[in-house]
Amino acid sequence: MVKKHSENIVTKNTSTNIRSASSSKIAIKVTNLHKSFRLPTERAAGLKQAIFNWLKGVKGYTEQKVLRGVNFEIKKGEFVGIVGRNGSGKSTLLKLLAEIYYPEQGKIEIDGTLVPFIELGVGFNPELTGRENVYLNGALLGFSNHQMDAMYDEIVKFAELEQFMDAKLKNYSSGMQVRLAFSIAIRAKGDILILDEVLAVGDAAFQEKCNNYFASLHGEQTVILVTHSMENVRRFCDRAILIEKGEVKVEGSPDKVAKAYEGLWS
Amino acid sequence: MGIPNIFSRKNRILLGELVKTDFKLRYQGSVLGYLWAILRPLLMFAILYLVFAKLLRMGSDIPHYPVYLLTGTVLWNFFTECTGQGIQSIVMRGDLLRKISFPKYIIVVAATSTALINLAINLCVIIIFAFINGVTPTWSWLFVPFLILELYILSLGISLLLGALNVKYRDITSIWDVLIQALFYAVPIIYPLSMVVESGSFGPTAAQIIMLNPIAQVIQDARYSLITHEAITGWSLSSEWFLKIIPIAIVIAVFIFGAFYFKKKSRRFAEEV
Repeated sequence: MVKKHSENIVTKNTSTNIRSASSSKIAIKVTNLHKSFRLPTERAAGLKQAIFNWLKGVKGYTEQKVLRGVNFEIKKGEFVGIVGRNGSGKSTLLKLLAEIYYPEQGKIEIDGTLVPFIELGVGFNPELTGRENVYLNGALLGFSNHQMDAMYDEIVKFAELEQFMDAKLKNYSSGMQVRLAFSIAIRAKGDILILDEVLAVGDAAFQEKCNNYFASLHGEQTVILVTHSMENVRRFCDRAILIEKGEVKVEGSPDKVAKAYEGLWS
Repeated sequence: MGIPNIFSRKNRILLGELVKTDFKLRYQGSVLGYLWAILRPLLMFAILYLVFAKLLRMGSDIPHYPVYLLTGTVLWNFFTECTGQGIQSIVMRGDLLRKISFPKYIIVVAATSTALINLAINLCVIIIFAFINGVTPTWSWLFVPFLILELYILSLGISLLLGALNVKYRDITSIWDVLIQALFYAVPIIYPLSMVVESGSFGPTAAQIIMLNPIAQVIQDARYSLITHEAITGWSLSSEWFLKIIPIAIVIAVFIFGAFYFKKKSRRFAEEV
């Protein structure tokens, strides 16, 4: 979603002294971010259960804290890796940045347009042609047809699918589908790019091309990458953040964070 | 998701893309394609016409009865299609909601817009039939778009309210299916309203109660403006002014309540769907 918003999402700050993020160097500033989910206690998600719960005076759900006061800043042009084990809260954090989830406490300030790729090919439909899917995906990300026209050729070229764009997506091989989705992701022009574990798609040649592309992004584009690959963290990131149990545990050079991550199991 | 950005350019583009996709996909793989948009209501009309007009001999006192019946079925179909698609839309598009951020109401508007396109096609069919049947066009035809708008706002309000509820309680879809079956008989589509009026001492009151329903009001008003001024409307049944504004008040109330409820709940759709 491309969206300008420096004014905020929720403002229930506990800390009173917040430095203004107006200094143009900061792309994202996250302050004391909390998020919890309501997990239904009974398995049934239905009216009957809801009525029973209400009659018995039970809430019907338990609160599960996923993020407990996360703070960090990302500068413009920085390539930042976010790592952590499964269930540590990385994806939740990303979804909060992308405005998919709503924070119950804390503040997220974003300067610039943000293009999130929580998953590749969101809204891709097998019955539509490659071309139609590109435009649909673009519209979902907040781009106009005009903006998509400008990016279209580059996307197709990067995906190396020139002669297949008028074929239906269901006739693509799975490799072709991810290549197309991935090309939209990296060619979509936004100020901040968010990628959730979507590196390494396609064959070796395509991967190499992607890697080169990522390397070329250095200093040009603000990127947030969530990954489990410490190799990628060391290779692409300027800085990394390790999240553990909903808190920032280690923050700093890729090497330092990668070591801390590997240390989680030893 | 404030009021000002509801019709922002970006949202319009997304809405357009979703409607286009929906419409393109709906009839994909069928031999007759878009023709089904017209055929479906026509076939339903044919069945109703055979059963009610020919076998049961209803509506013989109403001029242009076939067009009269067709108008009723087309508007009713629009209402059921619109709400049916609208109520399910949020749950059906759960995959998008979980992965991307955009104003949620766009999903509901997109789902209901497809029904609106189908209605437009069907209206052309009605007009052709009206000419064939010898209905003379009058200025009152211009009133029809407003009636459609009223029906659309009602459908949208119901879709927003029940669509949001459906995220948590999937029973809503089934309940609505049953409710709509019952509602069909509460609206004078297959039976002429005059039959109710003449059905005994309680008849006129019953007809008034039936006409409090905005769907009945829209259908009767559309028949009145489009086909024959002999169609009984809420206006002709009673002189009580408040009885006349109740249907419109219901539409406004349902829409406002639906929109507020939807807005309040939409923040958590991504987590709950």
